[in-house]
Amino acid sequence: MSGSSRRATIAGLGITEMGKVYGRSTTSLAIDAVRLAVTDAGLVLSDLDGLLVTAGVTDSVGIGLASALGLQQLSVLNEVKAFGASAGVMVAQAAAAIAAGSATTVACVFADTPLKPKVSAGQSWGSSASRRKAPGAARGYAGWSLVSGAASPNILYALCTRRHMERYGTTSTQLAHIAVAQRSWAAGNPLATHREPMTVTEHQASRWIAEPLHLLDCCLVSNGAVAVVVTGADRAVYGPRPPVHIWGYGQAHAPRHMHAGSQWGLVTPAARSGPQAMRMAGIGVDDIDVAELYDCYTYTVLVTLEDYGFCAKGEGGAFVSDGRLAPGGALACNTGGGQLSSFYMWGFTPLSEAIVQARGDGGARQAPRNDVLIVSGNGGILEHHSTLVLSPHERGSA
Amino acid sequence: MSAYLLVQRDDSSADFFDAAGRGQLQMKRGPSGTVLPPHARIDPDSTTPQLHPMVVSGQGTIVSWSVVHQAPHPALSDAVPYISALVELAEGPWLIVRLVGPTAPLHSGARVRARFARTGTEAQWGEVVPVFELVASPAQRSELLSPSNVADAARLEHG
Repeated sequence: MSGSSRRATIAGLGITEMGKVYGRSTTSLAIDAVRLAVTDAGLVLSDLDGLLVTAGVTDSVGIGLASALGLQQLSVLNEVKAFGASAGVMVAQAAAAIAAGSATTVACVFADTPLKPKVSAGQSWGSSASRRKAPGAARGYAGWSLVSGAASPNILYALCTRRHMERYGTTSTQLAHIAVAQRSWAAGNPLATHREPMTVTEHQASRWIAEPLHLLDCCLVSNGAVAVVVTGADRAVYGPRPPVHIWGYGQAHAPRHMHAGSQWGLVTPAARSGPQAMRMAGIGVDDIDVAELYDCYTYTVLVTLEDYGFCAKGEGGAFVSDGRLAPGGALACNTGGGQLSSFYMWGFTPLSEAIVQARGDGGARQAPRNDVLIVSGNGGILEHHSTLVLSPHERGSA
Repeated sequence: MSAYLLVQRDDSSADFFDAAGRGQLQMKRGPSGTVLPPHARIDPDSTTPQLHPMVVSGQGTIVSWSVVHQAPHPALSDAVPYISALVELAEGPWLIVRLVGPTAPLHSGARVRARFARTGTEAQWGEVVPVFELVASPAQRSELLSPSNVADAARLEHG
């Protein structure tokens, strides 16, 4: 059975209370998520010999979590920083450690608490982000950059979105179809922050954040934590829940090239990460039943669909229209509502929903087919990407 | 009163702000000949680290832009709505800059040029920084003079 002990599967998932969760520290939420994931896997904390931690915008959890969890004998302990791509990078790192025999059971956890009572989501996120920067940000080139006014991801993603619109004729109404489809899925997710229906008209009427992005093009901000337990297939088959097999993974990074000829904003590192993961899994894009795509903005979903090859470059706008991504559509996409409608746990939002779907636990939102699932993570301003291909079946048996 | 938050120099940016104070947009040029943004530390196409200052034309074109409605930072809360633009300089580098002045309907490829604005207020003046403005084609001039655009321009300038 040494073969199956080296084949990584996801055996446990832990999701804490989510959203406007106040009065709890990031560490206490992280502990809860790991405890829930380990219990879900039918294990106890001391079964862990690996822990990978990633922090959100408040940057308030790290490898000190191991001692907070009382873990004293670990083979793998790291903090992973690839921003929104971290979740996929962590699962890949855990799978590689298990394949190499350097660990048997690795928990991966994200926790963050940017939301503050009586402060808007945007201000909460912004004050957390700027606290990380050195004081006196108006000095030097950073000061000039602040004068430019493009001082948040909202505006930088708006620049990328506008570039796609100018090049390919993509419209805000097409982006609205992504938000509306995800809201329809969210109606079936008890954990989703927003479950009430949304129309294209409501999307178009929502206030501008940074043109061409409306409020309803932008993700939520949430407090909470999510953890997964990755372990060998031999252990996972004896667990209480159906194992989720890791068929393939990939990552690619493209820090933005600020020079004539740059493809920044139009083509993302998903175009390398996606094919890499699909090659490893031995599948093509047509084999994918469920796509859980990182959605910090509606545009991120559109450009990822193009870069993964669901449609040709430039055709994402037409592809997402007409309810293709909505319940009953041709591609089950962001079936929990995504970060636009459910909760903002960075790459752990799409990862956790893929596990729910692979297990058939989706209830009212269960996708009709779930044999092959793809999960994306995106970080920076379309600069960091990770991909996972997951399945409820052992590879080669689907 | 100035529309721009106070900017102060540091050691690495002193040359850049000196040039801006003279009305010059200064980039850097690497050994490979590539023109790089002013904060560049190395030329990725060369193995030697030496970069030289290079005054560029200040001419460029718009790659993309955003009209910003929600201020991303308290220092910009009095400035919204304003326009941030991704600009390709004639010499190659891309800059993310503030677009000021009268605005015709924007499109990628629209011609822009640098101009120079004093930051801070009378209480404390800061460095002069490059911002960009649209270079109007003859066909656009009538649009630029329309009352609504003048009002927009005034709002942008005095934010």
